[in-house]
Amino acid sequence: MGMSLLNQAGNIFPGFLQGPDIMAKKSLIRRLAAFVFVLGVTFAVIYGLFPWMTHSFDPLTRMSQSLNETGIDPSRYYYTDVEQVRESEQYLRGVLDQ
Amino acid sequence: MAQESNIVIDHGRSKWSDLWKKEDYLAIWLGFAIILVSMIAYFNFGPQADFAQKIGAADQIQAAESSKAPFKTIAWHKAQDDKGKLKASGSAFGKFVGHWTKKPGSWKTNPLDAFVRSEGQAKAMNEKALPKYEKAKAVSDAALSAALTSEQAAAGAGFKDTALNDEAKAKIADWRKAHKASGDAKKKTGNNPYNYIPTLIGLCIFFALIFGLGVKLMGENFTSFVKGFVLVFIVSVLAYMLGGQAVSKQYGMGAEAWGVLLGMIIANTLGTPKWALPACKVEFFIKTGLVLLGAEVLFNKIIAIGVPGIFVAWVVTPIVLVCTYIFGQKVLKMPSKTLNIVISADMSVCGTSAAIATAAACRAKKEELTLSIGLSLVFTAIMMIVMPAVIKAIGMPEVLGGAWMGGTIDATGAVAAAGAFLGEKALYVAATIKMIQNVLIGVTAFCVAMYWTMKVEREAGRNVGAMEIWNRFPKFVLGFLVASILFTLIDSNLGKDMGTAMLNQGVVKGGTSLFRDWFFALSFAAIGLSTNFRELAKYFKGGKPLILYVCGQSFNLVLTLAMAYVMFYLVFPEITAKI
Repeated sequence: MGMSLLNQAGNIFPGFLQGPDIMAKKSLIRRLAAFVFVLGVTFAVIYGLFPWMTHSFDPLTRMSQSLNETGIDPSRYYYTDVEQVRESEQYLRGVLDQ
Repeated sequence: MAQESNIVIDHGRSKWSDLWKKEDYLAIWLGFAIILVSMIAYFNFGPQADFAQKIGAADQIQAAESSKAPFKTIAWHKAQDDKGKLKASGSAFGKFVGHWTKKPGSWKTNPLDAFVRSEGQAKAMNEKALPKYEKAKAVSDAALSAALTSEQAAAGAGFKDTALNDEAKAKIADWRKAHKASGDAKKKTGNNPYNYIPTLIGLCIFFALIFGLGVKLMGENFTSFVKGFVLVFIVSVLAYMLGGQAVSKQYGMGAEAWGVLLGMIIANTLGTPKWALPACKVEFFIKTGLVLLGAEVLFNKIIAIGVPGIFVAWVVTPIVLVCTYIFGQKVLKMPSKTLNIVISADMSVCGTSAAIATAAACRAKKEELTLSIGLSLVFTAIMMIVMPAVIKAIGMPEVLGGAWMGGTIDATGAVAAAGAFLGEKALYVAATIKMIQNVLIGVTAFCVAMYWTMKVEREAGRNVGAMEIWNRFPKFVLGFLVASILFTLIDSNLGKDMGTAMLNQGVVKGGTSLFRDWFFALSFAAIGLSTNFRELAKYFKGGKPLILYVCGQSFNLVLTLAMAYVMFYLVFPEITAKI
C-alpha cells in the first residue's frame, strides 16, 4: 500500500477509497471502518479546519462577520436563490430610471 | 461498459411513443406539469387583482412625487417598499407548497436543529436578535425624521434650491441605508418553530411516485425504483443538513456539494447497495430540474444595468467560453471534449447551474460534471475572499470592482457575498452583472447541444440532415428554452412590479424553484452514489482540468476587468455616476 498522498489509481485515501468494485469484496467491518475514517476526515476538514481558519486569518474572520450580518448564503448558485440580487436589481432600476 | 451506461444516447429514429417513453420528453412533461399547476394556482386563484390595485395606487403616488420633486422623495420610496412587499407566495397555495417542500434548515452546533426547532428555541433566537433590531430601528427612525425635515425644507423652496435638494437627497439616501439595515435585522427576529420530519416523509413519497411513474413509462421496474429512491432521498436530506451548517455554507459547500461528497463516500467505502442503483436516475432528475430552471431564465433581465452590463456579461462571457474550449482542445489537448466544454462553461458563465445545463446538453459523464463543479467550488471560495481584499487594497472603485467580481466569480451567492464585503454599490453592480450572466445559460445550453449534435457527434465526412439533427438533439433543452421564452414573455407583459410579485415571488419562488432545488439535490446525491472514485481520479490525471480552469479564469479576469473599465468609465461614465 503506497504511502503517497495520491497513489497510482489517483486515490487520496489508499486502502479506503478503492472504488465500489474492490470495496465490495472486503468485509463489512473493513468497509465500515473505511466509511467512518473518510467521513471523519471530511468532517474534521469542514467543521474543524475551516472554523479554525476563519478564526485565525483576519480576512476570513471579516468575511464571516459580513456573511452573518447580511445573511447571504455563498453556496447558492442561481440568481433567483439570492435575495440580494432582487434588491440590487431594484436599486439599479431606480437610479437608472428604468 | 460502466462508462457507456452513463451516456444518454437517442438511438435510431424518432417515434410517437418517444413522447411518453423517453427520459427527455418525460422530463419535459413533468417539468411542464409543475409549471402549469403553479401558473394556474397563482394566476387563477392568486392575489393578482388585489396586487394590481395596490401597484396602481403606488404608481400614482410615485408619478405624483416624480412630477413634484427632482429627486425620489420619501413618499416615492415608501410606495416602492409597498410594492416590494407584494409576494404571491404568501397566498394559501404558496404556503401549502412551501410547507411541503421544506428543506432541512440552518444550524450551527446541533445538526438536529436542521429538522426540529422548538418554540423555546425560536423564542430564544428572536429575543437574542431583538436588541439589534430595536437599535437598527431607532437609527432608521432618526434617519427618517432627518430626511423628512430636509425634504420639507426643499419643498418649502418649491424644490428649486439646488443646495436644499441635494441635502434632502443625501438625507434620504442615509435613511434608505438605515432602513435596509433595520429590515435585515428584523428578519432575524422572525424565527418560527418547526418540525420538518413529517413533511420530508410526505415529500419523499410524492417524489417517489412522480419519478416512479416516469421510470415505469420508460419500461423499468416501479418497485425497484421506489425502494432505491428512499436511499437517494435520505442522502439528499443529509446533504441539505450538512450544507446548512453555518461554516459549511460560508465556504460555499451547499447541499449539491455535500450530495456528491456523501454519496461518493458511501459508494466507495460501504458500497452503494445494488437495490439502490435503479433509483440513481441522474439524467432524469437533472433534466426535469433544468426544465424548471427555464422558468427562471428571463431574457428581459439582461437590460437591468444597461449596455455596460450586456458587454461585461454577454460579450466577454461567450468569448472566454469559446477561447477556453479551443485552448483545451488545441493547446492542452484534453482527451474529453465534454469535460473541456463543461469546465469552460462552468468557469465562464455561472458555475454549478451552467455546468449542469452544459453537461446535460452535451451528454457529459457524471464524473465530468462532478469534477467541474468541484473545481468551481474551490475557486469560488478562494475568489470570494481574495478579490474583495485585492480590490480594497489597490483602491479600485466599487462599481468597477463589483462588475469585475460579478463577471468572474462563479456562484451568485458568492458574488453577492464578495460584493457586500466590498460595499453597497459593489454588491448592487456585482449581483446584477451576475444575474445577467445567469440568463446566458439558456443560450449556452442550446448552442452546445446544437454544436454537439451537428459537429462533435457527427461521423467524419457525413452530412447531417435536419431529421438526424432532430433525432439526436437532446429534447429537454427545448423544454428548457420554451419555459424560458414563455416566462420572459409573461414577465414582460405583466410589467416589472407585477412580474416580480406574481412570477418571481409567486410561480417561481413559491413553486418551480422549490422543486428545481430538490431535483438538483437528488441528482447530485445520485451522482455521488453511482460514482467510482477511481474513475473520477482518472479524469484528473495530469492535472489538465485544473490547468484549463486556471488559464480560462485568468483570461476571464483580464478581459472582464478591461471590458468593465471601458464600459463603466470610458464609454458610459454617466451610468456609473448615477450608481
